[in-house]
Amino acid sequence: MKKIRIGIVALLAAFVMALSLTACSSQSTETATEETPAPAAEEATETAPAEEQATNLTILYEEDDSLINTYSLLAVNPDAPFVDADGNEVADVAINSEGAAAFIDWMLSDEGLELIADYGMEDFGESLFTVNDDAPHYEGEIPQATDETKAIRLSTTTSVNDSGLLDYLLPYFQDEYGYEVEVYSAGTGKAIANAESGNADAILVHSKSQEEEFVAAGFAYTLPDFDSERLSFMHNYFVLCGPADDPAGVADAATALDAFAQIADGKYPFVSRGDASGTHTKEISLWPEDLGITTEADSVADYTDWYTYSNAGMGACLAMANETNAYILSDKATFLTFEANGGIVE
Amino acid sequence: MLTAFEEAIALLASGDEMLTNIVLVTLRMSIASSLIALAIGMPLGTALAMGRSKIASALVIVNRTLMGVPPVVCGLLCYLMFCGVGPLRWLQLLYTVEGMVVAQVLLITPIVAGNMESYVRGLVDDVRETARGIGLSRVRTALLLLGECRYQVFTVYLIAFGRAIAEVGAVSMVGGAIAYKTNVMTTAIMMYTNRGDFTLGIALGIILLLMFLTLNVVVSIVQRNVAR
Repeated sequence: MKKIRIGIVALLAAFVMALSLTACSSQSTETATEETPAPAAEEATETAPAEEQATNLTILYEEDDSLINTYSLLAVNPDAPFVDADGNEVADVAINSEGAAAFIDWMLSDEGLELIADYGMEDFGESLFTVNDDAPHYEGEIPQATDETKAIRLSTTTSVNDSGLLDYLLPYFQDEYGYEVEVYSAGTGKAIANAESGNADAILVHSKSQEEEFVAAGFAYTLPDFDSERLSFMHNYFVLCGPADDPAGVADAATALDAFAQIADGKYPFVSRGDASGTHTKEISLWPEDLGITTEADSVADYTDWYTYSNAGMGACLAMANETNAYILSDKATFLTFEANGGIVE
Repeated sequence: MLTAFEEAIALLASGDEMLTNIVLVTLRMSIASSLIALAIGMPLGTALAMGRSKIASALVIVNRTLMGVPPVVCGLLCYLMFCGVGPLRWLQLLYTVEGMVVAQVLLITPIVAGNMESYVRGLVDDVRETARGIGLSRVRTALLLLGECRYQVFTVYLIAFGRAIAEVGAVSMVGGAIAYKTNVMTTAIMMYTNRGDFTLGIALGIILLLMFLTLNVVVSIVQRNVAR
């Protein structure tokens, strides 16, 4: 009898916990609804289904050449000048060069490039990534995995991982050749730092300046069948998103630079990643130069009334921009995934 | 809201491969780290409570300070030790479940020891007197003390397990949240939140609570029977 009573008490406790969780989540949805600046906000709350108000954030400006977002693969050099936290040289860093080469070769083979070009058609009706016309191409053999080369550590950016591209690609490669790709994803700055600490065999990132620094510092090397360390192979576009009613009028801007100037002039709220990611480096290149905005937080100290330096991932920033009716620069793949997922608790 | 509940149940019922893997990794990591922490922390806490020297009371303060170590700091330390250029790189523990267990043990052991210390402290004077009366050695006295507070040991274990299963800062740094390898419930919730899939995040949160509830029911029943 006693045991049963304990069980019942525990179940009751769990029920209360679960209820409070539900209460929390429904509350957050309500707050989101309240903040929607629709004229008939009150009516809308009662009648419209939640999905319609889920994301007020829409793509306002895209397909401008200055918004191109190029992704590159780099193989980590096993003889790179690795240093430890105190700056002392470290010689014997374990890098799986053969595995990394096999992975990069496969990504740039006919099979890999075709799969990439096709990704997104099913779920979004459009490709999320476009293979570059001048993408490096591999036609040789790809070796099967051995016990030593099996585990490949890939350090990549959140946009590649969160958009589902790798979940879709990797099974083809792994099943055919027997490798296991371990994906570590973070903003480009962190993904590169992770490789510089000897924790990755290959990187897939999207920030030209940071990639070039990585190459110049000797952390990458040229694979046998290619002629560059930095293998730029696919791109998509960054998109400027904002509230649907577009108070800054960026949708009609002539260029992306004009659009950013309009936001800055009118001091409309803007959410920045603030995490040295590829998206962040692209964003700072788009502001009018006289504002002096860089990746450093103190460069935006004077603009805190409209510029949010958030230091968070793309999804968290999109949620923030959605809640605060702010403008935001996002890679298109992550935005579409975010939008498809609703960005709210249903 | 309710959709999250439905999704949680549907997910559990579907036997989704990814979810199964996340749940298994979570259990493996939490059970291993809480048991190891208990094995180290229990004798440590008892020893701290039995000590009467100034060094022992200083150690109690050190231990209480360690109870407050922020998980990210512990995670960062482990990351620096285990990473490709770190001094302990030959152990190859970065981005492995074993590495996560090490970080968790470092975090949880002081909590186990601290809790044990305060339970044992309340008994130590009486038990010591009895033990001296019948001529027990120090080790036997410690065992007697442990036996006396076996009810509390179960509670301490639940605290340790709860900490292990709920922790995110250290495990995301040391484990790297790698899919099918080191992704646990908490890091998966972070990941889905970043994809804007809050419903799935909440669903995983509910599953996490249900797992802890099941363990609580089992441990509580054992506790009532073993330590009355």
